Amino acid sequence: MTNPVTKDLRHFEDLSVGEVIDLGKTTVTREMIVTFAREFDPFPFHLDEKAARASLLGGLASSGWQTGALTLKMLVDSFLGKLASAGGLGFKNLKWKNPVMVNDTIGGTVTIVELRRSHHHPEWGIMTLDFDVRNQKGQPVLTMRLSNLVELRDPSAPITEAAQ
Amino acid sequence: MTRWFEDIVVDEVFDLGTHTFTEEEIVRFARLYDPQYFHVDREKAGLSHFGGIVASGWHTVCVGHRKMVDALFAEEERLRGLGQEPGVSGPSPGVNSMEFRAPVRPGDTVRYTLVVTSKRPSNSIPGWGLLFNDLTARNQHGEIVYHAELVGFSKLRDYRMPLRLRALMALAKLPVIGKALRRGT
Repeated sequence: MTNPVTKDLRHFEDLSVGEVIDLGKTTVTREMIVTFAREFDPFPFHLDEKAARASLLGGLASSGWQTGALTLKMLVDSFLGKLASAGGLGFKNLKWKNPVMVNDTIGGTVTIVELRRSHHHPEWGIMTLDFDVRNQKGQPVLTMRLSNLVELRDPSAPITEAAQ
Repeated sequence: MTRWFEDIVVDEVFDLGTHTFTEEEIVRFARLYDPQYFHVDREKAGLSHFGGIVASGWHTVCVGHRKMVDALFAEEERLRGLGQEPGVSGPSPGVNSMEFRAPVRPGDTVRYTLVVTSKRPSNSIPGWGLLFNDLTARNQHGEIVYHAELVGFSKLRDYRMPLRLRALMALAKLPVIGKALRRGT
């Protein structure tokens, strides 16, 4: 049953609650903002400087979904890609706290807040992560709580409520 | 939708249309934003529990957002065609919940449906209202791919700023008083 692709990566058993992951940094350029907006979020306030200044955002800013997607990319590069991930379950309480403006640099931390075994799938554990993404001024831009499946190295280990 | 806050009908169902996902676009999105092996590498993905390439959940959500924006623009056109001035929608403050329920595979066609479940005037931004929307994405077999509870902004048509606030804003335009007011906050 061992997955040959993930066998040498970190598994569920290797994780602990309280572990903090540094996401690294990403600078968001005008070209990135406009390219993403054209495909997924073509509101004038994500495409045009003048329309952006007149909007609630106050200037050309990335789509919130782009901020989320770039956060995901940082997570995969710094953590998820080195893990026996089995896919995402979703997220809760995603908040866009401040717009990400042209040439802002975003980064931040992710904390493992919960680890529990799946009752339906003994081969997986559910990892819950809290995100704190900020801009170069230290202002919060995005927070959310995300859940992801992680493969167990030893699915035959008994499921106990205390198991972390 | 791009209607004035007052004109938005709770429980009205909007069919946002469909999108068929190709392997090329699944891999292209994933390379940029979610380069896990089951999104980008056909051979390795075949060894995962998915049994092949699947779209990043975030990709299916971004496409869902595009379908919503397109529907807003279409509604705007429709209202203009009727000789009415369309409303104004604003950027979203967040997402209450997002559940990925079934993978999307190359060739799958996903249909997106939006329902406004409730609305209320914003407490923090005068003149705007908050919309609570449920977005459901289903594949060609009718299975739910994801379900989201979204929050959006829509402008009030009949908003009249309270007199005290209007007086304060008029005063703030005078250079000396404006500076003092800004320092005070």
